[in-house]
Amino acid sequence: MTTATPSPTTVLERRYRRLLLAYPRKYRAAHGDELLDVLLESAGPGRTVPAPREAWGLLTGGVRSRIAHQATGSAWADGLHLGVTAVAAANLAALLPYVGAMPLWTLLSALALLAVLRGRVLAALPLSLVTGLKAVAMADGRQVFDVTLLPVDPSFLSDRPLFAVSSPFAVASQYAVVLLGLLVLASRRREAPRVRSWWWYGAAVAVAWAGPAWMEDDRTFPLSLSRLAVEAAALGLAAAACYLARDPRWALASGIYLLVTSVELTLHAEELTRQHLAYWAVLAVLALGAACAPFRQRRHCLD
Amino acid sequence: MYFVLAALRAGPLHGHAISKSVKELSGGRVQPSVGTLYGILERLNERGVIAVDREETVNGRNRRYFRITDEGQALVEAEARRMHEAAQLVLHPST
Repeated sequence: MTTATPSPTTVLERRYRRLLLAYPRKYRAAHGDELLDVLLESAGPGRTVPAPREAWGLLTGGVRSRIAHQATGSAWADGLHLGVTAVAAANLAALLPYVGAMPLWTLLSALALLAVLRGRVLAALPLSLVTGLKAVAMADGRQVFDVTLLPVDPSFLSDRPLFAVSSPFAVASQYAVVLLGLLVLASRRREAPRVRSWWWYGAAVAVAWAGPAWMEDDRTFPLSLSRLAVEAAALGLAAAACYLARDPRWALASGIYLLVTSVELTLHAEELTRQHLAYWAVLAVLALGAACAPFRQRRHCLD
Repeated sequence: MYFVLAALRAGPLHGHAISKSVKELSGGRVQPSVGTLYGILERLNERGVIAVDREETVNGRNRRYFRITDEGQALVEAEARRMHEAAQLVLHPST
């Protein structure tokens, strides 16, 4: 029995199809075969591996196309929804290590994020409100809705009790931003918010992880390296998107997230180290870059 | 973008023909990858500088032919004049 060897074109076509996954589904459905046709016509005979230049072009073209597809509809409403999504993910990240001790509240927080991600603003409002009330009460050492033994010890991802270094005001401000944002979005009935990626849950897990130790003194207000990496990557992507699309929606989202982070740091003003300031500076520079990028000068009339 | 518009001045072309024409017109200096070329074509199409002239099905795959619009024609000519004037400053400086 012999196994049929696939022709070089078939192998190359399969590999190019994989690279085309970088493009949005809608674009792939409409023009994926057209691009594939040109790629196969341009390839030399017998080639089975995509040319590095073409592979890079498809990856960057795909990212650019995804950004262009996102830059549609109301910029401020979409930016507000994205900012609310990021803060809701951070709120889930704060509860995630304590899922073993308080599964119900962690589940409600996860459901609140799910409602935000699916654009279900009216469902997200009550979920965020009850989770927020419970979180603020726990940060303040009080009991609401049910009795929770304090301090709440983590099950995984962290080694500190819940809200051990967070003030109730900081927790309240995070939930207030989410609730205010949702109220504004709920007042707009014309256009439902965009459905967002499941990757936000992955970001919440990464932010929740206490991460590799990097602070000189992590006894007061520790910031994990994983949190810094995820936040810097997200704000960096936002700045790149603003630059490529000349659209301010990602800058608004970055500004909302920076505001929440700044409040948190301000409440720990007396404990801040150079590393805290460097962390804030990285986020602030990226957010500022995102804010300026849409207004960059055109280099020529075809730019 | 300039060479893409210059290529389309000869008439409607599909992606592969545009790629070959750009390479020829630039003397081999500009060879955009397919991903880059289609990114440029989509942007020019959104700005109304080029338009889809027609679509054909070849080997079971859709193929768009792009043509330059009047606005695109005016833009590429303005860009050519600008570059020509800039070149004149060096090649034929007035005394």
